[in-house]
Amino acid sequence: MNVTLTVNGELRSASVPPETTLLVLLREHFMLTGAKTGCDIGDCGACTVIVDGKAVNACLMLAAQADGRTVVTIEGLATREGLHPLQQVFEETGALQCGFCGPGVIMTAKALLDENPSPSTQEIRTALAGNLCRCTGYVKMIDGVHEAAKMLQSTETPALAAPQQR
Amino acid sequence: MKPFGYVAAKDSGHAVALLAEYGKGAKVLAGGTDLLADLKNSPHPPPDVMVDISRAADLKGIALTDAGLRIGALTTHTEIVDSPLIADTLPALAEAAVVIGAVQTRNLGTIGGNLMTCVPSMDSGPTLLALDAQVTILGPSGRRTIPLSELFVGPRRTSLGFAELLVEIVIPKKNVGKPSAFQKFGLRKGQALALVNAAAGFWGGDGVFAEPAIALGAVAPTVIRAPKAEAWLAGRPISEEAMAEAGRIAATEAKPITDFRASAEYRLDLIAVLVKRALAGAHARVTPNQKDLAS
Repeated sequence: MNVTLTVNGELRSASVPPETTLLVLLREHFMLTGAKTGCDIGDCGACTVIVDGKAVNACLMLAAQADGRTVVTIEGLATREGLHPLQQVFEETGALQCGFCGPGVIMTAKALLDENPSPSTQEIRTALAGNLCRCTGYVKMIDGVHEAAKMLQSTETPALAAPQQR
Repeated sequence: MKPFGYVAAKDSGHAVALLAEYGKGAKVLAGGTDLLADLKNSPHPPPDVMVDISRAADLKGIALTDAGLRIGALTTHTEIVDSPLIADTLPALAEAAVVIGAVQTRNLGTIGGNLMTCVPSMDSGPTLLALDAQVTILGPSGRRTIPLSELFVGPRRTSLGFAELLVEIVIPKKNVGKPSAFQKFGLRKGQALALVNAAAGFWGGDGVFAEPAIALGAVAPTVIRAPKAEAWLAGRPISEEAMAEAGRIAATEAKPITDFRASAEYRLDLIAVLVKRALAGAHARVTPNQKDLAS
């Protein structure tokens, strides 16, 4: 079957078998391997992407169900001007160690910040409950989301600055 | 996943027509959080055709109608959590929705899917059952409405017949606004199945437990009511002691099992505690003249 969807601002199409998940579509047809295949049953959150503004497990959605929708993956966050504040903070503070969970954590955090620009620590913890990390203990991630929230609200953030500043 | 066919339903009527056309080989796909996860691990052959109802707009939405509070079967848990109408009338429904899975699964999973998967630990069940929810079912011969209690047959078994589809859940008008609360105990705060969950509601404006209702999950083959505890409470003055005693009575009405998550004895203790807490939570929502305002 044919599916057509907007991925990171670009209209993309593919012909896939019906049992193809959104995760397989992204990774194996569009070669966007940022979203990871972890548990593949919706427990670990490594496959998290944003569909029509909501963080979802790409492993639990059929590609057919994403037809016509707008999907944002980790590959869609950085701009010419620089990394997204979440990416920048996570990199600078060592909020990730092995990094496997990172794309999922960052996409979940992005969906949270899009809806709630200054979340409380509890709100961040609740949002990240579906993203398992076996390295870090989560503390630097939670601090990082707070920090990125502050950066997003300031105009100094490179990724958000006006193009003429380049 | 093993290969299967796929067809998208435009609306509920189309879905029923497709289910009738494809017969026993068809399976309804809503949010997919249970179904797709199960399919990936299942040794059984996949369905011939997946009837995807996730775009059927008539199955969505939360609204007050003449019959009561109507929740479309395809309403996601996140939509229930975010609904101002539910926050205003029956916050216990949001308390149950917000502890299902994690953000990602709440954004996909639906209330109808949670009921239709019909596992005893479902978090949507107790509050709806305690509020005497009705469910509307659409089939080849038309619509029928049954009490939610008659939908549940056993673990992963509902009373839906051939080519039938759950289309909506209605909390009857008399219970919209009834003070109620939901409690869940899992092994973690996030992303855990309930060891036990419980919901309770009553009208308390006159200082007594009026029309008390108690429902329990994960302690019997289906979500159940606790009629003995309800009968014992009815008409008694509101007190913490009475809430605790109702919890103890409710525990005698359940038949929990021992599994790798918890022993039956532990679950019996949890029932007593969670029923007491749910009753206290409902009591915190009691205001004078509430019942008169609701009806």
